[in-house]
Amino acid sequence: MSWALICEGLEKRLGGKPVLQTLNLNVAQGEVVSLLGASGSGKTTLLRAIAGLNHPDAGRITLNGTEIFAPGRLIPAEKRQIGMVFQDYALWPHMTVAGNLGFALASQRLAPAEAQARITHALDVTRLGPLRDRLPAALSGGQQQRVAIARCLAARPQLMLFDEPLSNLDAALREDLRTEMMDLVRQEGITVIYVTHDQAEAMAVSDRIAVMREGEIAQLDTPETLYNAPATPFVASFIGGFSLLPGQAQGGMFLVDGQTLTLPGTTGPVVLVIRPEDACPATLHPATRLIAKVLHAAYQGRCWRLTVEIAGQILRLDWPNTARPGDQLEFSLPPDRCLLLPIPIPA
Amino acid sequence: MSLHDTTDAAIPRRIHLTGGLRLPGFLAMAAVDLPILLVFGLLIVLPLLTVLAQAVMPALFDPQSPGLAIDLTPLGRALSGPRVLRSIGHSVELGAAVAVTATLVGGIFAALTQRFRLPLRALYVPVPWLVFLTPAYLKAMAWVLLMAPGGYLAQLGILPHWASDAFFGLGGLVFVHTLSLFPLPAFILGSALAGLGQDIEDAARLAGANPWRIWLRINLPLLTPAIALSLIATFAEVLSDFGLAATIARSSGFGVLTYGIYAAASDYPVDFPMAGAQALILLTLILLVTLTDRLLRKQGSLRLISGRSRQSLPQKPPPLARWIMTGVVVLIGVLAMWLPLVVILLRTFTATLGHGLEPTNFTLSNLTETLTPGAPALQALGRSFLYAALTALIAASIALILAARLDRAGPGLKASVTGFALGTIAIPGIVLGFGYILVWNRLPGFRDWPFPHYGQASLLVTGYVAAALPYCLIIILTAVGQLAPSLTDSAKLYGHGAVARLIKVVLPLVLLSVITAAALSFIRTVFELPISQLLVPQTGSPVPPYVVRLLGHDDDGLASALALVCMIGAGGLAGAGWLVARRYLNFTSGARP
Repeated sequence: MSWALICEGLEKRLGGKPVLQTLNLNVAQGEVVSLLGASGSGKTTLLRAIAGLNHPDAGRITLNGTEIFAPGRLIPAEKRQIGMVFQDYALWPHMTVAGNLGFALASQRLAPAEAQARITHALDVTRLGPLRDRLPAALSGGQQQRVAIARCLAARPQLMLFDEPLSNLDAALREDLRTEMMDLVRQEGITVIYVTHDQAEAMAVSDRIAVMREGEIAQLDTPETLYNAPATPFVASFIGGFSLLPGQAQGGMFLVDGQTLTLPGTTGPVVLVIRPEDACPATLHPATRLIAKVLHAAYQGRCWRLTVEIAGQILRLDWPNTARPGDQLEFSLPPDRCLLLPIPIPA
Repeated sequence: MSLHDTTDAAIPRRIHLTGGLRLPGFLAMAAVDLPILLVFGLLIVLPLLTVLAQAVMPALFDPQSPGLAIDLTPLGRALSGPRVLRSIGHSVELGAAVAVTATLVGGIFAALTQRFRLPLRALYVPVPWLVFLTPAYLKAMAWVLLMAPGGYLAQLGILPHWASDAFFGLGGLVFVHTLSLFPLPAFILGSALAGLGQDIEDAARLAGANPWRIWLRINLPLLTPAIALSLIATFAEVLSDFGLAATIARSSGFGVLTYGIYAAASDYPVDFPMAGAQALILLTLILLVTLTDRLLRKQGSLRLISGRSRQSLPQKPPPLARWIMTGVVVLIGVLAMWLPLVVILLRTFTATLGHGLEPTNFTLSNLTETLTPGAPALQALGRSFLYAALTALIAASIALILAARLDRAGPGLKASVTGFALGTIAIPGIVLGFGYILVWNRLPGFRDWPFPHYGQASLLVTGYVAAALPYCLIIILTAVGQLAPSLTDSAKLYGHGAVARLIKVVLPLVLLSVITAAALSFIRTVFELPISQLLVPQTGSPVPPYVVRLLGHDDDGLASALALVCMIGAGGLAGAGWLVARRYLNFTSGARP
């Protein structure tokens, strides 16, 4: 496979605290990879290191075969030909829409006709043509975001970085713009790294997702693999609103709070990963049956979302009926959907 | 080879050269920080150090036998002689009294104008800013014309003889200083009051407290840090003042430290060691005051300004209270601004003070004499405007470059330069001016530099720039700090270098602040007295020393006319420029939320 971007052994410390730890990441040509993680997980630091807006303490970054960061070598941000859509869009407020695109192209010293053609194309595909002479302040949030993307498209970067580009928009607009934005970058065949802390957004836009924790990549996989086979309890806790039920695995059984489920696999302290949609009536899978106390029920349209408790652990289940707080709920899980993950022993 | 600054929050550890090489950290730091440190070092630190050195090494610039021996005799002479001791006592006494009175007047003004809906706003709302921008010596001139034994109030029979006598002493100085400095406490306490918000008062009302109780038990205790800051800032301002020191205080025989420094440095026979000793005493006093301020701030005031607190809405008081309150703020406005302005106007258009408001006394001769081509007054005006325009341009440009650099510098350098800039605002102009004489007239290596050169306008403008730079830097740095870093980061990603980013992205967005800084520098420089007085070029005097000289020769008609033309010209030019800029430089987005 031809890699557009290769990050090898990136390390960075800020104020003595590691924010990137021996981090490796490869991104293929035309691929969309999301960096998903909580605040402080290092995803923005990694993105800015790739852009050249900060510099790792060690490691190597190669973009389309050219080393842009390595020991003794550094290509500054302004020479990397990397585009970025910032969280606040970073539109230059004193320039019109076309002016923003023009200034982004200015350093490439293109022939005026070529520059105009690129600006017009970028404005056309983002449907901003009629707004080309407006100042950013006169645009809505969604339009401003499209200008930021158009500005990136016009510059034809080798790699496009998105830093939580939808976080300033309201929920209704977010989904529409997300689809529109990703259609655009896929049409243009651009390689993308997309930072977000919203797992649903990461699932929707990515070919692969890198789940980050404390400056490391906890798992890098396709959205389906992450959903079906999270590698660690941490990844499982970050994905899909899964519930984690800690217990003990021994002799093909899972033991929790005096209840026993027939689940072959590992031995020792484990968590049982429960996806909300997997909850079934108790009679369906008697070997993997659980009894829980109902704490809360909320109507969700297609089903009820029940919050239940077993041994002090809160679980979220999708259930066809409502239940009263305090009720006992018996339910079962399809054995092939039950995933036991060993609890890592702290170093 | 091109240099590229890093945008790390931390101090850049290396300079990156395109293609690869890295320079060691200390060299990179030097390349980034050196210009900033050089500008401040040359303009402010060196003159200040020379003053301090002169204070403890009296023979430093001795024309016969210069030497570096440390000798505290001049300091001892200053502290044991009755004259300097009296000056110290006077300065401290005046400062303490004015700190209290100005804080009281400013606090009342801020509370009444912010918390209540009062009529006749035009009469008092612009007053603090106008008073703040009007130099002390012009206000002093107006009050002398009013309060002198033969002045306007005596002529109208309003002023008894004893009051006129009392004016030329501590009482009069406290009175004029209070009216001249009340804007400072009004600004400090006003912003503190705005920060209190409505919710705190509402909560107290719901708990059953009446308005008096709310003020005594809630607002006043919460304003204590602001009141302390206001007392300290006013005290320091009075210590540094030269405008009243050179006018009312001098003619009343009320010696203060700043005038003592001026007299020792410029009156024949000049006594540089004595000027240095007094400057050291003054700086020590100001340092103590500044340290007290820092200490108080470190103890921390309650943070009440949050995104959630509602701004308090001005209330409409009952009719009687409303008119009493309006009377108080209008009285402050009239005494501080309108009355002195009317007096200067009257004196401009009358031939003599003695004939007061007699119809035959009215004339245009003062104005004609001021505006006659080739007349000394018009020449002084031209020089002042030219020097002020140059100062505004140079100071604002340097401040812009420094601010853009500093905004991306390490937090340590940024904090220390900002702290230093704030600190230098407290340095009295007279001490800075004296430092400039020592460096550029005595210090080997500097003495013979062709530009700037002692006795020439170039040195005066350099001194003006040094005095204006801290203000400009703080105004522009605040504006640059408001810009989202992503605006320049994105320009960088699209391939634009440091200069293009500064000119095409940063400058247009902070241009209004740059123009504000330039306009303020222009007005302040046109009226700047102490540095002008000490560094008068051989080619001729600018307006401030010329006005003070005219006053000294009882030529107050011409002095008033020149002051009036200067105020209208400078205020009009700076104000019009600023208004036009504000009209065209309004980009509402792009600022940090």
